[in-house]
Amino acid sequence: MANNETSAIRLQNLTKRFDEVVAVDNFNVEIEKGEFFSLLGPSGCGKTTTLRVIAGLETPTEGRVLLENKEVTKIPAFRRNVNTVFQDYALFPHMNVKKNIYFPLKMKKMPLSAAEPKIHRVLKLVNMEGFGGRLPQQLSGGQRQRIALARSLVNEPAALLLDEPLGALDFKLRVAMQKVLKDIQRNVGITFVYVTHDQTEAMTMSDRIAVMKDGLVHQIGTPDEIYNEPATAFVASFIGDMNFLHGSVFSSNEKGGHATVSDRTIQTRKSKKTMVKGDEILLCIRSERVLLNPKNKEVENIIESKLMRIVFRGTDYEATCVFDDSEIRAVVGATAWGRSLKEGDAVHVGFNAADVVVFPRTEEKDIIKYSVEAV
Amino acid sequence: MDEKKRIFDDPKSYVRGVPIVVWLLFLVVVPLIFTFTMSFYRSKGLVLEKTFTLDNYKLFFTDPIYSRVLLKSLRLALGVSILSLATAYPLAYMVSFKMVRGRNLLFMMCIIPLWVSYLVRIIAWRSILGNRGVINSALMAVGIIKEPIRIFLYNRFAIAITLTYICIPFVFIPVYTALEKIPKNILNAANDLGANEFHSFINVILPLSLPGLITGFIFSFIIALGDYIIPLQLGGTQGIMFGNLIWSQFGFAFNWPFGAALGFVLFVISVTILGLTAKFGSTEGGFLSE
Repeated sequence: MANNETSAIRLQNLTKRFDEVVAVDNFNVEIEKGEFFSLLGPSGCGKTTTLRVIAGLETPTEGRVLLENKEVTKIPAFRRNVNTVFQDYALFPHMNVKKNIYFPLKMKKMPLSAAEPKIHRVLKLVNMEGFGGRLPQQLSGGQRQRIALARSLVNEPAALLLDEPLGALDFKLRVAMQKVLKDIQRNVGITFVYVTHDQTEAMTMSDRIAVMKDGLVHQIGTPDEIYNEPATAFVASFIGDMNFLHGSVFSSNEKGGHATVSDRTIQTRKSKKTMVKGDEILLCIRSERVLLNPKNKEVENIIESKLMRIVFRGTDYEATCVFDDSEIRAVVGATAWGRSLKEGDAVHVGFNAADVVVFPRTEEKDIIKYSVEAV
Repeated sequence: MDEKKRIFDDPKSYVRGVPIVVWLLFLVVVPLIFTFTMSFYRSKGLVLEKTFTLDNYKLFFTDPIYSRVLLKSLRLALGVSILSLATAYPLAYMVSFKMVRGRNLLFMMCIIPLWVSYLVRIIAWRSILGNRGVINSALMAVGIIKEPIRIFLYNRFAIAITLTYICIPFVFIPVYTALEKIPKNILNAANDLGANEFHSFINVILPLSLPGLITGFIFSFIIALGDYIIPLQLGGTQGIMFGNLIWSQFGFAFNWPFGAALGFVLFVISVTILGLTAKFGSTEGGFLSE
């Protein structure tokens, strides 16, 4: 937990309702100074609303917002020391780049002569020197993005709020801009609160991530924790490629547990929630942790199955195997052996007990069914 | 290489333009040519003499009464345009930015006066401003005055007020359209970057709505400059405007050539103003045409 000196943003019991719709439901978090914090979730999960509440563009229905330990819940956006980078950049179309960046300084009544070096510095920071005279419509998407970033940084805010800033860019540019953003964040040391629906983006850039769905925060943690210790079935399904098997609890103890999946017994990791024999559960296994034809000593669980489908993905193969009435996907390296696999082959699938996370079956409704990686 | 497209490179584009050219020709160009040629004719009693004479224009430029009336009309039109903008802009601003629900209803209510006959609306204003009109009755009922005040009707004030009322929708529509075009995120950004409502208005909203403002100004100016019914109905002794002069040449004096000459003078003034403001508007408003 951050102490008072290092807290940049604190949300306490933050709730925002629009009429009957709960956009954000009791959000509590403390974001540290210099942290890269992401709000991740599918569209409509309340991540942008949370950001707008921090910016002061929305008033929370309940709860408090603290910036650097000062309550700002009732303070309007134009007096808050945070700046936002909007999804569509929101540059002023009638002002050139320099005037756009000068705008926040002008609002602080800083004369242009004093602002000039600051403007120059942020333009250099985003590598856009020499573009000061251009109008926004004379810039490409990536350039506008960088100007919007410079405009938000010039005031040296306590925190920078970014609302899907890379959403409108094409894939290659997005990856390049991710690096630029991360470098800038490291260089200036400003707290970033980053809204995205792209799990890869959140995973690669963030110090911590809050995963949200329907206004609820499902988990706050480091990318490692989010990936390896998902708190709910939703988090497990939203990030990475996850296999879900139906089963029921056979036994559960301090070290781990045993589950029954269509008459087979599978060793699992210890459940975070208390479970008793016979409880309906979901077993979650990452597809890259599933091995094909493993050696007996290597893994705790081995199941005979049939290879249904094998798809070449460039760096690897995705193998879909069936046993009984269940389906399980495995990732196989693009080796000679991988190439020799044929649909219909009899294969063994194996995985470790530590890689089997279990959730109550009631959470199945929260699972995101599509896989972003497969699109 | 000359990449410029010529008209015959794509004959279809040429054909597509025909209807609009025909439309312009018959509804704009031909009547103008008629007016223009007639302004060089001479009227003798009730007969038109088809000669070429500059007498009509000479009369306009030598007799100071005409330029005096023209100047008076220009001043009135300017006053009316400023009044209409001052009334319609805040209205459009409120409807566009402050209304959460019922915006379409309010927009309709601002437009509805256009559906009511022009004459009916003028008569309505007579009954508001008249001796036993709404204002006088109200003031007398409250007891502020004992006798009806006669300053409201049959003077330039009455003309200006009524013309302003007529012009408001024509200013409201372009201003509202321009305000609606401003992305709301830009206002969020201004707010986020430290601008309160006043600073957002001065630095962002006003410059971005300038094209609509200019269009509204042109509309109201030209409507006010040419109108002759309102001065006639509500102007009393002060009610001779340039429009009335033109109208009387056709209606009473049977001096159509002189009326045509006066009409052409008004036309040239309107086109000049249109040209000047449109040029100003397009350079300032070009950023919206992304």
